[in-house]
Amino acid sequence: MARKLRVWVDQQTCVGNAMCEAIAPKVFRLNDNRQSEVADPAGDSVEKILEAAENCPVSAIFVEDAETGERLFP
Amino acid sequence: MTMDAPIQDDMFTADVIADPYAYYGRLREEDPVHWNEKYELWVITRHDDLVWLTRHHELFSSAVFKNDPRPAYPAIDESDLGLYEYVKNYQGSQFIQHDRPEHLEMRRVMHGYFTPKSMEAWRPFVQAAVKELLDAAEEKGSMDVMRDLATPLPVLVIAEMMGVPREDRPYIRELAEKLLYIGRGEYDRMKPLTEGMRGMIEYVSPLVDRRIVDPGDDFISVLARGEKQGIFTRHEVLVNTSLLLLAGHETTINLLCNGTLSFIHHPDQWALLKQDPARHAKRATEECLRYDSPVVSIQRIAAQDVELRDKVLRKGDRLRWFISSANRDPEAFTNPTTFDITRHPNPHVAFGSGTHHCLGATLARVEGQEVFKALAERFPGLQVEADGLDYQPSITFRSLKSLPITWH
Repeated sequence: MARKLRVWVDQQTCVGNAMCEAIAPKVFRLNDNRQSEVADPAGDSVEKILEAAENCPVSAIFVEDAETGERLFP
Repeated sequence: MTMDAPIQDDMFTADVIADPYAYYGRLREEDPVHWNEKYELWVITRHDDLVWLTRHHELFSSAVFKNDPRPAYPAIDESDLGLYEYVKNYQGSQFIQHDRPEHLEMRRVMHGYFTPKSMEAWRPFVQAAVKELLDAAEEKGSMDVMRDLATPLPVLVIAEMMGVPREDRPYIRELAEKLLYIGRGEYDRMKPLTEGMRGMIEYVSPLVDRRIVDPGDDFISVLARGEKQGIFTRHEVLVNTSLLLLAGHETTINLLCNGTLSFIHHPDQWALLKQDPARHAKRATEECLRYDSPVVSIQRIAAQDVELRDKVLRKGDRLRWFISSANRDPEAFTNPTTFDITRHPNPHVAFGSGTHHCLGATLARVEGQEVFKALAERFPGLQVEADGLDYQPSITFRSLKSLPITWH
């Protein structure tokens, strides 16, 4: 059973660079403001989601273990 | 400039170069989507319009050199038209001069090198470089922030990232100086500009050859990998290496000089920074980026007819969005003309926005934070040592020509 994640994007920080959407398109999508939001936190592997978070140029993506609350990124 | 006079369209006059905030600020208030008759381009000055258009990259092409058939502006010497073709071809190969899908593919080759986490790992190197430069300045007793700190620092960092030998750095700076003519207005600017471009290609070419056979963890190796993957041609590898070298240092120079000058002009904020430099450095750097931004404006070409406010931009029209006015838009910032190093949130657009958001933003931030912190710790009595300060005649960069200071 894959680890369940809580993933969110800080809208005050997101600049719509959209690299997260390019890396994990099932997890992140752009809203009407062209900012990223989470469509499905289980849409891709933990590794891909962490890769997307790490590649955010403004560190707007946060990832936690949904069950333990452990912060996985940043 | 009196407020009743009609808006004049020459953006290269001494007045506008010295104080872009008055001119573009007036446009923002009176005609935020302004057709500039003289240069035949749209001038976009509001913060919300800038954010909207940079995030609708499918409507506004970044392939400016490829998609703009019009002659150079301001005008160039007619005998230099051949050189201008060379410039268009060279600039057109930069990844930032591409749209999706190519832009995404090219950016992804380099993007991983510049993540906030990997740039943070460069902080100790930046700190050591700042210390070395300030030690030398302290011994001398005065400095030109431009010549002695802001120029060498980013060159030291970028050259280290590229894996360029130490002894070649003055030559790199010399070439980069010539490349800066891209944003200026001199009639005969094509000659130094093309010399810089050709010089870069000649210099970088053998470095790429070596990295293709013997890759390392430097960013020329990163680009060489892009060539092996078929994403970059060799010409694109060469042009983009020199792009990263130039982009990584000219803009940082402006952040460091303009920021230092902002502190000198606002003693209360300088006093606040000095109280606890480590605590204030981050937000102070963001405010320096907002208040006197390193980049004044960026160009695009309308990819289709677009309605913006009460105007229609036609496919093929060129436009420039002005960071300098957006970052002082009262709709986006309270007290926009106040330099406030505790400002938060600070949604400035000094690095642009959207898919083309500055690749080197984190590195610039680290360099700014370390410099302003070190200056506050070591030179609390900063003063300008000149009567008047001059800016380069550019509508792309906000570049001081020099910034001589003392601290006694």
